[in-house]
Amino acid sequence: MSAIHLEHLAKRFGGFTALKAMDLRIEDGEFMALLGPSGCGKSTTMNMIAGMETPSEGRILFGDRDMAGVPMARRGVGFVFQNYAIFTHMTVRQNLSYGLRMTGRPKSEVERRTLDMAEFLQLTPLLDRRADRLSVNILQRVAIGRSAVMEPAIFLLDEPLSNVDAAFRAVMRTELKQLQRQFRQTMVYVTHDQLEAMTMADRIAVMDHGVLQQVGRPIDVYNDPANTFVAAFIGSPGMNLLRGRPVRTDRGLAVDLGVLGVTPPLAAPQARAAEQARGEVIYGFRPEQTTLAREGIASPVSFVERIGARSIVHLGDGPAVFKAVFENDVPAAVGDVVRVLPHADAVRLFDAQTGKAL
Amino acid sequence: MTLADAPLAPPVPPTPAEDGARLGFRLTLPAQVLVLFIAVFPLLMQLYISLTDWSPLAGVAWPRAWEFWNGFANYSDLAQDGRLWAALGRTALVMAVCVPVEFLLGLSLAMLFVDEFPGKRVAYSILIMPMMVVPAVAGYMFFMLFQSGGPVNGLLGTLLGRDIAVAWLSDPTLALVAVMIADIWQWTPLMFLILLAGLVGVPQDQMRAATLLGASAWQRFRTIALPRMKTIMIIALAIRVIENFKIFDTLYIMTGGGPGVATETISVYIYEVTTQDLIWGYVAAIALAILVILSVAAVWAMKRMGRAAA
Amino acid sequence: MSEIAFRNVTKRYGATLAADDLTFTIRDNEFFCFFGPPLAGKTTILRLILGLETPDAGEILIDGRPVTHVPPAQRNVAMVFQNLALFPHMTAEENVRFPLVERRERPEVIAARLRDVAAKLHIGHILHKPPAQLSGGERQRVAIARALVRDPVAYLMDDPISALDARLREETRVELKRIQREAGRTLVYVTHDQEEAMSVADRMAILENGRIRQIGTPSEVYDRPASAYVARLLGAPMMNILPMTRTPQEAEAAGGAIRLPLLDLPSGAAQIGVRPENLRVLPWQGDGTPSRVADVEPLGGYTVVTLDAGAVPLRALLRGQPDIRIDSRVALRVDPGRAHFFGESGEALRLAPGGSA
Repeated sequence: MSAIHLEHLAKRFGGFTALKAMDLRIEDGEFMALLGPSGCGKSTTMNMIAGMETPSEGRILFGDRDMAGVPMARRGVGFVFQNYAIFTHMTVRQNLSYGLRMTGRPKSEVERRTLDMAEFLQLTPLLDRRADRLSVNILQRVAIGRSAVMEPAIFLLDEPLSNVDAAFRAVMRTELKQLQRQFRQTMVYVTHDQLEAMTMADRIAVMDHGVLQQVGRPIDVYNDPANTFVAAFIGSPGMNLLRGRPVRTDRGLAVDLGVLGVTPPLAAPQARAAEQARGEVIYGFRPEQTTLAREGIASPVSFVERIGARSIVHLGDGPAVFKAVFENDVPAAVGDVVRVLPHADAVRLFDAQTGKAL
Repeated sequence: MTLADAPLAPPVPPTPAEDGARLGFRLTLPAQVLVLFIAVFPLLMQLYISLTDWSPLAGVAWPRAWEFWNGFANYSDLAQDGRLWAALGRTALVMAVCVPVEFLLGLSLAMLFVDEFPGKRVAYSILIMPMMVVPAVAGYMFFMLFQSGGPVNGLLGTLLGRDIAVAWLSDPTLALVAVMIADIWQWTPLMFLILLAGLVGVPQDQMRAATLLGASAWQRFRTIALPRMKTIMIIALAIRVIENFKIFDTLYIMTGGGPGVATETISVYIYEVTTQDLIWGYVAAIALAILVILSVAAVWAMKRMGRAAA
Repeated sequence: MSEIAFRNVTKRYGATLAADDLTFTIRDNEFFCFFGPPLAGKTTILRLILGLETPDAGEILIDGRPVTHVPPAQRNVAMVFQNLALFPHMTAEENVRFPLVERRERPEVIAARLRDVAAKLHIGHILHKPPAQLSGGERQRVAIARALVRDPVAYLMDDPISALDARLREETRVELKRIQREAGRTLVYVTHDQEEAMSVADRMAILENGRIRQIGTPSEVYDRPASAYVARLLGAPMMNILPMTRTPQEAEAAGGAIRLPLLDLPSGAAQIGVRPENLRVLPWQGDGTPSRVADVEPLGGYTVVTLDAGAVPLRALLRGQPDIRIDSRVALRVDPGRAHFFGESGEALRLAPGGSA
């Protein structure tokens, strides 16, 4: 069994709390992404799973087995470092076969498994090249292969794609997913890039300031963020969050956004949530889930980013700024006033004080 | 006429490569002249004197040493000088014992110091202190320590529970041992420092990666740390071999090369010949011979280093 | 006026052609972006502009004057470093003033320039703070102010935000664009991120192995790529580029899943390129060749669908979260007006107005 169970896991460095009481169950064979900005505690969590750091509190279980006191060499996890930690004085072949050789596998087995892995990662022509003369993209593959060849039941990856160039990142996302599907390891993947998490993971755990914010399937986290942090962090761009006050209009309950005026009426579930809210709420909607319509929220366009298939339209100024994403031929230019209508069922409300979803 | 008034050469752009080479030559010219004077001149002077029978008591200044020309006589004497060869052998023996011991001790200490432990800073300061002691003072210190009634015998006596009166510095074998102990005490810290610098330079992520791939501590050292430390190890060894070959000050104060010639190393021998026998032509010949031996050794070490670094 | 022009500039490092016969003009006040994969020659171009490299052939002009052999210090081009390199022990003001103080400018000149640049970059209110107390965006502004205070012809940035978190990158690139608009002045910018390039650039140059493959506004390059190479570099997911086979009436691709009347094809077209957002995925009604859904990646606002059709897997980018199941059968449609065509060697082909093959 290679499920990973984190129970009340915490880590303090002197006076600094890197991780606060985290409970998380990663199932056997699951691809879990730990997602959050720099310093959110995701790497610390992973280092504790690998045994590179000792928890200040709580337990880590692999299956039913408590990992306390088990040194990292005997945890049997594969680990891909952010900087790859390639043995630069060795060839690609020596790197790939390192673990097998050190653990005393028979020569023929070392040979066979190294070649198989090289073939899988398309490294065969490079096997006898020295690792210090290879591009970052190749090093990245070698790092993955070097761990994967050991066929670990648990595979940990620490932002493996943050150093490779943008185009190659897309290729590697696909390959990593394939790798995981083929070997069915339990995969824990640390990243600050929500796109990587969304495209690869079975489930994502969003973290901030050492606190686990939400765990769920990517699409669920996207659709129903637990709080404003998750709402803004997931999505590209993140969810628009506008402060306002629930008001009754003749067409039903809506939110008064101040300078931006009153929103279109809320759909039934949101209206019920707004009824319970005391005082201000945060009115959230996804930039992609909008249309241009007469009854929309009116705002001047401050900036238009046309990125390939889509255009990100930046609207408003001061505290009341938001974005909308349209097809790239949207008729909106800087200075125009446009009316943006959020899809009624895609609107989310959050408590203005706590930031929690209502 | 000031520089600014000087007619400027027409701006013919040279190609970058030759431009760089010419500029490099001009910039290093003063330094090259200096090197010429510091290194080449004394060497030629020495070679010249070594071919004569000149001595400072001869009554003429060294440029006129040709008046005492005796060709290669000094060199043929050198080949038959039993005391010289004995001194050379002794020097080699000291080196063969001290350098490996210093290396292994230094390496072990360095490996201890890579990881954090309480009191590391204090231990570190104490460890490198011997290196900072002036060798002459160290010599005097060990001279006192190894007296018959000195602290070393005292300590041994306490440990063994009986009176010990070993005459360390007057026994030919023990005197050599004492001298080696002093050298190891003083120079292990240098090895330690250099090797520690090398060990710290081994990327910790690679060590961790190796651990996670199942390598034992010894395997990690052998496959990851050692290959990266090869160059620095050779440098450390080269420094100590060269330095040890010239071992003099501490030793001379402790034993004066004695008893008899029991601890007379090559440097001590040269010193004796220079200050007492005053046959400088012969001294120059010995010095040149040693220089040749050391140079050959150094070139060999450099070649090894070059291969290790590639 | 500040215009930077290359005329047939070539730069070699040993056997590698880092810049191969480059000719282009960067206009006054333009946000000009060099984009390409690693080692395409982007950084070499910056170094040539700065004067850190001398071309092997060709000429570099700044404002029409040849500067090919003018040393870097006299070119008056400023570089903003990736880590910003602000002096931590100085306030923002001291940082900005530094280049002028170094040049021994008169105090009243320094004061005037400082006022000017602080107003342009909106940093008057933070000038008294040390860099440690500034936000990332503010630091960016201060670093740019320090570059602009010398009144340079242009300022250069080499992949300035690639080290940031993904989210921060999205915000910073917009901020950079704003700053450049407000401060004016020509900005030469290098990146390997296609999204960033399209977001910030007024015009961009696409590089491959030291050569410029296309220059234009991001929209021009995206909508009318000059070659299959350029088409693949921009856009995520990448453009689907498929070989075509012809029947007497039709051209087909993707194992017959995509069919187009020959009339819609330019002559010599060997490959068809379809942007994922232009590939329509419809329920299969039993006619034509179906394709199989191999993978569905919901990204939230968009969904990427991977399709098995023919030899090369196809990708479609659909808006929203459509209900498409893996292994279901779908029909594919391409609007010929939104398709791209390429010849055997990858050059883009377009229908002559009114004409056909």
